[in-house]
Amino acid sequence: MAITSETIKRVTADLYDRSLRFIPKDSKAALTKADRLETNETARHTLQTMLKSADEAETSWRFVCSDSGVPVYVIKVGTQARFEGNVRKAIVDGFAELVASIQPPLLPHVTNPLTLERGHSGRQMPIVTFDMVDDCDFIDITCSPKALGSGRWSAMDIFSFPDLPTIEAYVLDVVRKAGSQPCPPVVVGVGIGGTFDYACKLAKEATLRPIGQSHAEPMVAAMEQRLLAAVNKTGFGPMGTGGDSTATAVHVDYAAGHGFTPVAVTFNCWINRRTRARLFNDGRVETIE
Amino acid sequence: MAIRTHHLTFPLSAESARTLRAGDMVVMSGQIVVTAGLPTHHRLLGCLDDAEPMPMDLNGASVFHLGSYSEEKSGEFEILYLNPTTSTRFNAVMPRLIKGFNWHAVGGKGGLDRPCVEALQEVGGVYLSFLGGGATLHTKAIRRVIEVGWSDMLIHYRLVRLEVENLGPVTVAIDAHGVSLYEMIKASQPV
Repeated sequence: MAITSETIKRVTADLYDRSLRFIPKDSKAALTKADRLETNETARHTLQTMLKSADEAETSWRFVCSDSGVPVYVIKVGTQARFEGNVRKAIVDGFAELVASIQPPLLPHVTNPLTLERGHSGRQMPIVTFDMVDDCDFIDITCSPKALGSGRWSAMDIFSFPDLPTIEAYVLDVVRKAGSQPCPPVVVGVGIGGTFDYACKLAKEATLRPIGQSHAEPMVAAMEQRLLAAVNKTGFGPMGTGGDSTATAVHVDYAAGHGFTPVAVTFNCWINRRTRARLFNDGRVETIE
Repeated sequence: MAIRTHHLTFPLSAESARTLRAGDMVVMSGQIVVTAGLPTHHRLLGCLDDAEPMPMDLNGASVFHLGSYSEEKSGEFEILYLNPTTSTRFNAVMPRLIKGFNWHAVGGKGGLDRPCVEALQEVGGVYLSFLGGGATLHTKAIRRVIEVGWSDMLIHYRLVRLEVENLGPVTVAIDAHGVSLYEMIKASQPV
């Protein structure tokens, strides 16, 4: 038995399609909590309208946002997973077929960074990363579309043997620069250490963690709490027009590295679009969200 | 202090714009123009320099940074969805467009910078903040497409004049008196 390219094509296209039409349960719960705690009346109103928008999208099964972004897949491959056919090609074909059939149609957001031409396909699109996971007989696929609205404000810098206050000051600096623009309340992902490329990957994957689930290590969990409190003191608030709810979560992850320490900071908008499924060798598909 | 919510007819006049204060909310009915294209804005600057004729009359219009999917069926345009885009990337071009075309209402999400605030103050204009991720709600307020300009451009770059009913509420984030919520937030942040 094996995971077929046909299943991968169908599931990846479906994950992207669904990710545009509802907001994850944890985002909804976080907005409801923010609405309860928010002291700014305009901000409360905006949070309530976000929840209304989420409900309306689910009921009508239309897009929550006009910017469908570009499809981004994070794929964890179990060492015991077996494949029949091509994987990468299946994902590209799935996206192409979805573009041709999806209703309402997608705007042409895929951009050639050199010519600025826009369309529905391009070099290395969809964006996919693969990691191996030991002792698993499935592949785990998360779809997290990315658009300019929140994608534009990510940043990273590299420090030499930084202390924690230096790292946290940098995260807040990036948050202040993003300011009112990334459709807050955002989920902030922070990746510390490893290498230049790996810190960014850690930051991205940190945004995919369920909102409010702290890092397993107490030292990192404490940093997340400090950063969340500090981010929410910036006052940007929902849609950046003021309030206490600038972030619903700050998720930090780290990897050991050398003395040079990259710190990457990234944002997902209030929707925090995310869908996920597992594909097993026996053909089963488990929709996780 | 309770939020003041205004039900106003668009395009917004300078007189109506000046009654609004930053932090107020507005529910919009009437005519608005939308585009999400920076190239569209550059083309409009060209129109101010007589490089080409205007695709539609935009003098005194209410023009918003809203992306839309417009589809033509038997000569009629329909909007399938509508949602704001980030306004800050238009900062450099907005002051001249606001002043050149007397725009009394602009908007989108994320705000505009100080030169834009000053341009709005000069003409009597406001910046309105729309809910990002509010496509279903915004789209429901569309009554009809009045006209489409520069339909040769990418779908969301086109200029689309819409008739809307009860669009919003949106937040007055920059008022016509030089007050910007975005600047107030930054000024009150802990150092």
